[in-house]
Amino acid sequence: MRPGGALDVVQLAAGVVLAGAVLALWRKDLRALISVLSLQGAALATLAGVLAAHDGDVGLGVVAGVVLVAKGLVIPGLLARVVRADPGSRETAPLVNVPASLVTAAVLVVLSYLVAGRLTALFPDPLTRLAPLGLATVLVGFFVLVTRRKAVSQIVGLLLIDNGLALTAFLLTAGVPLLVELGASLDVLLVVVVLQVLATTMRARFGHVDLDQLRELHD
Amino acid sequence: MSATAYLIGLGAAGAAALLGALLPARRRLFGAGVLSAAGCLAALVGAGQVLVSGHPFSVHTAEVLPLTGVDLTLDPLGALFVAVTAIVGLAASCYAVGYGAHGAPSRTATAMLPAFLATVLLVPAAASVATFMIAWELMALTSLLALLAEHRRRPETRDAAQWYAAMTHVGAAAILLGLVLLATHADSQSFAIIAEHRRQLSVPLASVVFVLTLVGFASKAGAVPLHVWLPRAHPEAPSPVSALMSGTMVNLGVYGILRVGEDLLGGGVLWWWLLVAALGVASAFFGALHAAASTDLKRLLAYSTVDNVGLVLIGVGAAGALAAGGERGLAGLVLLAALFHLVNHALFKGSLFLGAGAVQHAAGTRDLDALGGLARQMPATAVCFGIGALAISALPGLNGFASEWLLLQGLLHGFASHSAVTEAALLAGVAALAITGGLTATAFVKALGVGFLGQPRSEGARTAHEVRPSMLAGMALLAAGCVVLGVVPGVVLAVLGRAASAGLAGGAPKALRPGLGLDLTSLHGAIEPALVVVGLLVALVVAWGALRLVPRPAELRRARRAEAWGCGRELQTARMEITATSFAEPLQRVFADVLRPDHDLEVSHAAESRYFPGAISFHQRVDDAVERLVYQPVIAAVGWWGRLARRVPNGSVHRYLAFGFAALVLVLVVLA
Amino acid sequence: MTGALATLGAASPSLWARIGTSVLQVVAVVVGGPLLLGLMAKIRARAEGRMGPPITQGLSDLRKLVRKEAIRAEHTSAVAALAPLVLVASAAVAAAVTPLLTTRPVVAGGADVFVVVYLLLMGSVALALGGLDAGTAFGGMGASRAMTIGAISEPALLVGILALAVQARTSNLPGIVAASLAHPGWLASPQRLLALVALVVVVIAETGRIPVDNPSTHLELTMIHEAMVLEQAGPDLALVTLGESMRLALLLGLLANLFFPWGVDASGSGLVLLAALAVLAAKTAALAGMIALVEVSTAKLRLFRVPELLAGGFVLAVVAVTTGLVTR
Repeated sequence: MRPGGALDVVQLAAGVVLAGAVLALWRKDLRALISVLSLQGAALATLAGVLAAHDGDVGLGVVAGVVLVAKGLVIPGLLARVVRADPGSRETAPLVNVPASLVTAAVLVVLSYLVAGRLTALFPDPLTRLAPLGLATVLVGFFVLVTRRKAVSQIVGLLLIDNGLALTAFLLTAGVPLLVELGASLDVLLVVVVLQVLATTMRARFGHVDLDQLRELHD
Repeated sequence: MSATAYLIGLGAAGAAALLGALLPARRRLFGAGVLSAAGCLAALVGAGQVLVSGHPFSVHTAEVLPLTGVDLTLDPLGALFVAVTAIVGLAASCYAVGYGAHGAPSRTATAMLPAFLATVLLVPAAASVATFMIAWELMALTSLLALLAEHRRRPETRDAAQWYAAMTHVGAAAILLGLVLLATHADSQSFAIIAEHRRQLSVPLASVVFVLTLVGFASKAGAVPLHVWLPRAHPEAPSPVSALMSGTMVNLGVYGILRVGEDLLGGGVLWWWLLVAALGVASAFFGALHAAASTDLKRLLAYSTVDNVGLVLIGVGAAGALAAGGERGLAGLVLLAALFHLVNHALFKGSLFLGAGAVQHAAGTRDLDALGGLARQMPATAVCFGIGALAISALPGLNGFASEWLLLQGLLHGFASHSAVTEAALLAGVAALAITGGLTATAFVKALGVGFLGQPRSEGARTAHEVRPSMLAGMALLAAGCVVLGVVPGVVLAVLGRAASAGLAGGAPKALRPGLGLDLTSLHGAIEPALVVVGLLVALVVAWGALRLVPRPAELRRARRAEAWGCGRELQTARMEITATSFAEPLQRVFADVLRPDHDLEVSHAAESRYFPGAISFHQRVDDAVERLVYQPVIAAVGWWGRLARRVPNGSVHRYLAFGFAALVLVLVVLA
Repeated sequence: MTGALATLGAASPSLWARIGTSVLQVVAVVVGGPLLLGLMAKIRARAEGRMGPPITQGLSDLRKLVRKEAIRAEHTSAVAALAPLVLVASAAVAAAVTPLLTTRPVVAGGADVFVVVYLLLMGSVALALGGLDAGTAFGGMGASRAMTIGAISEPALLVGILALAVQARTSNLPGIVAASLAHPGWLASPQRLLALVALVVVVIAETGRIPVDNPSTHLELTMIHEAMVLEQAGPDLALVTLGESMRLALLLGLLANLFFPWGVDASGSGLVLLAALAVLAAKTAALAGMIALVEVSTAKLRLFRVPELLAGGFVLAVVAVTTGLVTR
């Protein structure tokens, strides 16, 4: 891909995905996290759409549409329903305080630049050069998964990882095969649905969805 | 000629030590002070000639030391360190004349200051392993004695001396080991011959040597995590000694890293310098944070030394990394910036330590929580300390800004180097520079604002008086240096450039154009501090004049004094003022994860009802987390081994003889 | 980018013309600062359904304050008298060298972004020392809080600037502005946008706006800036207020010109300068309006939540630099 209008959009979309991951660490309000997710979904769909238009790839165009619907609308919508149903759990209640997790995120971003930079140096192409952003999104998502206590914010972490993987895949292979992307999106959708059911049941039984307190079940 | 001047300087400083030890008590201070000041001037002349001409000199005598002789070579890199030492030494010698005059000056205290000075002047000229190690150990010994000279009976001083002695000896052992490895490899102990043989050195062996010497030099420089002696020793030493330790001795750690890494080992591999930069980032952040949290004035200054050494090490590490990546011109520029910051640090930290000594002298305490309002009783000290404090906070027009700007420029342009790991190090360097900038400003606003402004918080601070002219002269000399290098930083660039290219083996700094300001022509960067200062003065005068021009009734023209607002309470006492502890409290809370402060809150209740508190006492300590987490376990383990070993000797003579016999047999077996 | 500065140097207007332009910039900031504050107060008032004071209220307040008697607290030293003057002088010098109206202010070669940053630090240090000088509880508390917030906003500030400087390969302000004008594609680049967010956070913290500080509070315990200047009265207070508003105008103008550099004049001739002044006023007013609207809809953060905000700014700045490295 040559530098120009299309590349600018792709770079911007990749930057937005990573910035969204940082925002997810930054804000404690779950509703804000959910809008971050739909923003990321939109950015990913834009990226895929631009790539599809640039290469004239119809399959990738369909993937872009799927991404927009699944990641941009359906999954955030489902999560929003979970949060609306339980106004008590609107804050993410992190295990690591916010400034410390943000500084960690900065370190993770630089780390992925170091690691992925070495890999992408093998194929010096403006698209693959962006891959560190995808890896950084995955790492930050993992960090969210590790340090956040509420079930919903853990799903957010999982979705961040998924978005990061999708971004990396789009950048490295200029498009995931349609079937793979559909399968992955459906998987994630399934996970979200299961967790929604689980969260509803948990709330019905224990009155909250704080995973730390599941240990009490074990004891 | 330059050699003669330098040797005369060394000799004069040594003679000053003798005079200090031999003269009768009344003449001792003056004689030693004048002679060591003269020695500093002579050494400055010698080093200055090397720096200006760029020609090193060498001296060899076989007579002074048996077996090895003494080899001295002063190249521009070493000459820069000698020159810095001479300037700070000159100020400290003047200062010491007045500083000692208040009590009965002891023989050791008077003699050890010039002796210490002489050894610091000697180390950068040492040109063989034996000469270097002897000079290095003499420096450790004299500085230890100088530290103990004043308050040897105070438990804190003894404690500080123990830490210092232990750290400096472990460091010296590591350096010795590294240098001996080099000397055996080159089959010569001369630095010049070792440097010639560096190409035959294998990378693993060179790395072992570098890491060993780095441990030693970093512990002398006070880099985290080897800094633990520094915040103990610098506050406890007499103030002229603190100024010399902080302004000159820690520099030699940086000198050693450059001498071994770049000169003897020829630059080596990238990760060495990334390690140095990482030490620098850790030191800068940790030092600045503790400086902002400290309430003991000299402890604050000591931690700030850790911070500034960190900034210099960031520069040295970045320069080494860029040079290892082939960017020698840019590396030269970054090294120049680091050396410039080192010079500036010597000037402002020297002035600040001397100022802190004056405060301790006049008010009887260096605890900021008991000071305050000193600017009224000690205006000249306040001005000198203020210049140092504003310079270290990197305000434009003073020297700290000039070197930090140059360092930032070097780091910024390193981003064109296309080595991902170097770029990450540069980014960390900029972030460290940024966070320390803000923390340092906070620390010194605290030192200046709580110590010198406001109302006095203790009787000592209330009855403080201005110190003697000779002490003021020492402080003023260094403060004037801060102003001159701040307004016209361009004047020292040529000299620093020669030192930097000597340090990098020919990496001449890129892009610097001679002038009064700093001008990096081909890198599109320049500052003109002189014009900024002129602009500030013009703006000040205009603003002041504009206020005077406002039409006002005559009786409103003079500023009236009125009581400060106290929420309606009539009585305002110094007990209601903010203290240094409370000033630092918000920052301490923000960085509680790193500082880990200990709090102790005791509330006793009134006898009548538990709802009324009788007295509330609050204690807080901010200990060094590195010391607690790294050193205490080591000390505990060593103590455990010691107790175990104590069981071995039980007093029986036969057992001791048996140990000797067994050792002898063992040696024979090994030899066979 | 190469040669951007060279063209700046070539055929530059005469020294006097450049000094004149710089003086015009200082005057614009002196007059514009209080007007910007008035505009923000007006927008907030309207959004809350009130009439609000006229936009020129700030200037009227200054006029009132300078005519009052100068009163200083009993225990103050010369620092209390000097601090407000230093604040105004440092802001004025920063305004003179910043490319607000033209890419060729006086000493264009020495107009470095770090000079501006550290000149602003000089003003903050002066104010904090002035706050400590009276030896009261409030002054010291305000100074402590202001310095703390300044210290933790510094990383976001410098790394955010680094993102711009690495892109333009210079930290020279006219150089950055000229380079952005030459590369319109940069303005939508992710590193620019991320750096913009980081720097907006810093500007909000440095100028003491909601959610970091509430400029209109008068409750001593919640104040930061107001507590620090509690002992200033009359002409001193006028200078402090003026200096603070100048810093706001300067920072907003700088943000506007770094990220939306259209309308900055390259030639430095008379009528074009007036047009540049109008464009600058419009850009800064738009930024100020946005900040005012955000202020209406957010609550002030607790002091110990502020680090979260600034750490977020710092991470976005780091992401901006990294993104810049992978997109170059």
